[in-house]
Amino acid sequence: MKLMVNGVEYPVARDWRNENLLTVLREHLGLVGTRFSCGIGQCGACVVHVNGVAMNSCLVPVAAVVDTDVLTIEGLTTEDGTLHPLQQAWIDESVPQCGYCQSGQIMQALALLKENQEPSDDDISLAMNGNLCRCGTYDRIRKSIKKAALVMKGAD
Amino acid sequence: MVQLTRRKFLIATGCVAGGATVLYTLGTRAAASAPTIIFPNEESGAAWIQIRPDGSCHMYFPRQDMGQNANTGLAQIVAEELNINVADIQGVRPNTSDVPPLAVTAASMSLTAFSRPIALAAATLRESMRDRAAVKLGEPLPSLLDDLGGFRTADGREVGYAELVDETSAVIEFDDNKPAPALYTFDPSREKKQVGHSVNPLDIEALVTGGPVYAADVQIEGTLYGRVVQPPVRNAHIASVETNDINGVQGLVKLVHEGDFVGVVCKTPSAVEAAMAKIRVSWDLEQPINQQEIDKLVDVDAEMFEGDLEHVLQDEAHRKSVDWDIDLRFDVQVQTHAQQEPRAAIARFNDSNAEHALEVWTGTQDPWAIKRSAAMDTGLSQDDIIVYPQRIGGGFGGREYYEVERDAVRLARAVQRPVKVQWTRKDEFTASRCRPASTHRLRIAVDGEGNLSDWWYGYVSGHVALARERMASWLLPVVRLGTDMGVVKGAIAPYSAPHQRVECKDVDLPIDLGVWRSLNGAPAVFSIESAMDELAVQRGEDSLEYRLAQMKGAHPRLRACFERVAVMSSNKSLSGGANYGRGFAGGIFDGRCYVAISADVHVDLDTQKIRVLHMCCAQDVGLAVNPGQLRAQIESNLVWSIGMALLERFEVADNNIQSSNFDNYLIPRMQDMPSLDIEIIDQPGIPPAGAGEVALVAGPPAIANAIRNASGFRALKLPIAFSDITSGFKA
Repeated sequence: MKLMVNGVEYPVARDWRNENLLTVLREHLGLVGTRFSCGIGQCGACVVHVNGVAMNSCLVPVAAVVDTDVLTIEGLTTEDGTLHPLQQAWIDESVPQCGYCQSGQIMQALALLKENQEPSDDDISLAMNGNLCRCGTYDRIRKSIKKAALVMKGAD
Repeated sequence: MVQLTRRKFLIATGCVAGGATVLYTLGTRAAASAPTIIFPNEESGAAWIQIRPDGSCHMYFPRQDMGQNANTGLAQIVAEELNINVADIQGVRPNTSDVPPLAVTAASMSLTAFSRPIALAAATLRESMRDRAAVKLGEPLPSLLDDLGGFRTADGREVGYAELVDETSAVIEFDDNKPAPALYTFDPSREKKQVGHSVNPLDIEALVTGGPVYAADVQIEGTLYGRVVQPPVRNAHIASVETNDINGVQGLVKLVHEGDFVGVVCKTPSAVEAAMAKIRVSWDLEQPINQQEIDKLVDVDAEMFEGDLEHVLQDEAHRKSVDWDIDLRFDVQVQTHAQQEPRAAIARFNDSNAEHALEVWTGTQDPWAIKRSAAMDTGLSQDDIIVYPQRIGGGFGGREYYEVERDAVRLARAVQRPVKVQWTRKDEFTASRCRPASTHRLRIAVDGEGNLSDWWYGYVSGHVALARERMASWLLPVVRLGTDMGVVKGAIAPYSAPHQRVECKDVDLPIDLGVWRSLNGAPAVFSIESAMDELAVQRGEDSLEYRLAQMKGAHPRLRACFERVAVMSSNKSLSGGANYGRGFAGGIFDGRCYVAISADVHVDLDTQKIRVLHMCCAQDVGLAVNPGQLRAQIESNLVWSIGMALLERFEVADNNIQSSNFDNYLIPRMQDMPSLDIEIIDQPGIPPAGAGEVALVAGPPAIANAIRNASGFRALKLPIAFSDITSGFKA
């Protein structure tokens, strides 16, 4: 079994084929940027993209994503270390407090901006409502998404 | 533990290849309540600020990072004193062998307790560098002027720190006989370059790129996976265990059953899941776990009927029989931390050749308590144990104890392999030490002029700081004769009356209790500010004006917050539609932090929802070291206020904890967010007050008072459900 993550092919050892995608990413492949928080798809900390669609990786059996492209937070930064506009906006707005939910927040925001290049406040609230932040950084997340949207639109 | 002298300590840690180091000292005066209370002094040494031979500044960060970013503020102070840029400070999180014990990171004390000693240390280092610069340039001391990263003379000669330190180690010591160096941080007249400016957390890039910063991210060769059955309450004992067919689980390495401890070690996380599903434990409980039991134990009216409450916090010419204008009871339910990171730990036992017999990686507010506890648990000496603290994915008071670490240590010992334990979300809800339930009776009477004449506030709460297991069970009854500093938080109102009594009782509840953001501050201030608002409303007075009048000239800093928030809230017009309302509340946290808040709400009869639309907050923070991060803490407290006022309901029933995940314990989401208007009142001449848990005292009553304003309903219970309000209308 092989898994394509961030454009890199990884073999999945036999013992790990009954795991969910989140566990394989973190514990087997060492891609720990995707975080575990609720385990039932209620908080969004583990959001990754599977063939471009945002999913809670804690709910996805790894066997279901063979022959797909998985994108994780580690895949957002370019090889020369340049941050994605969303990541840069997150820094500019100083979003993270404890930081634990932020990988999932950024991946969810990326999915939103792929669909909607100029999201309104309501669009953002709707799209991001599945991503919990116990520290309460929502106001800054909203500002960052708008900021990144402007940058990404300009880049098109 | 072996007491190391400073110089030995330096050698033992091997942290100094060369350069000049300064110890900073933290007096024992500012002791926190929680387990590790050793604020290092000059004898035990402390964290280090160091200028290395290349001129760079190295600093051991003394606080545990959990989102409050206190270390960033402390680094700013060092940078201000040393005339360098904060970004150039190399901050390192020390492990438990790098430095002697540092006090638990708690109680919003990081900036309050550490800012001055750190400023003093950095300033001492700066002045010793100035001495060296004077010698090097052959100039008298006063002609050496501050410059970025060093000094200059009036005629333009420059000397950087790199030229002043060499490969020889040197420890700069304080000399009590010399005048203390000037502290730039606390000089109100100084135009500061580092302090007072918004600085991002120094490790922010790791947080937006998914860097390996939390305990569960640590990768140790050969790690196995484990988990332990969490009891519904820690004084429960196992009555019976069934482990049907557990040996058939593929990947099971070992079932570990020692007394009340039952857990498994497996090769993969899914095998852990399968093995745990085979285990059935029934528990012997000392008290039944259900809501009725909790309600009965914290019933303030039943207790006050019996007579005086156990602890009298204020008693001035108290009168029992008065015609009360306000006589209300407020009930505040249990809340839990629900931090985003379920805790995790990795433990590894090493052979006798290794420096440490046991290594533990974990995210904790108190690494040295973890080390002490692990020593007691395993019989190893403390010197044989090292704890590597990792970033904490949210603490809020809930990450002080030897818990997930215990699970990892015992399982690793049983299999003699490294074991990672990742608590599930259900484990978090089951084993977290909650903010207790409490009930509050507020009685207020006014005189002919409408001024407060009598104030009688009694309440009963579960224990907070003196909860079970915070100390040895034989000691607990003795210690509990005194007051629980967590339970008394917030109880003294800022209003004055000639006749005043405040009394309380703290009790054991059938669930595990502990420190939760603001301790009793939020429940007490909710009760006080709700009662004062009700009094003003019933008297037809302006709620804000009435409060200010009843402070009778005291608490000017709180008054300033109220006055500021009055202006801020007036900048946003409230809809004139039906069931829109605005409420105010303010408070003092821990005698040092001042805050006032306004909330605008809509009680929406169509959607059957209470929605917070807008919140204003004015907070006096003392010296604002890092305004951007202070604002972040206030935002966080406002979001928590919504959770406490409207959403968070911790459920217990059938002798178990029923809240298990975010689908049945609701915390604020993006759609619950109001717009926010926050102002920080900076007091450059006053030490930083701490901001981590301040605004949470005033947010919930502001929301409750807004609901009163919108609907006529006075909330007497938290959280407030829409269905409460309709029943309130009917009444």
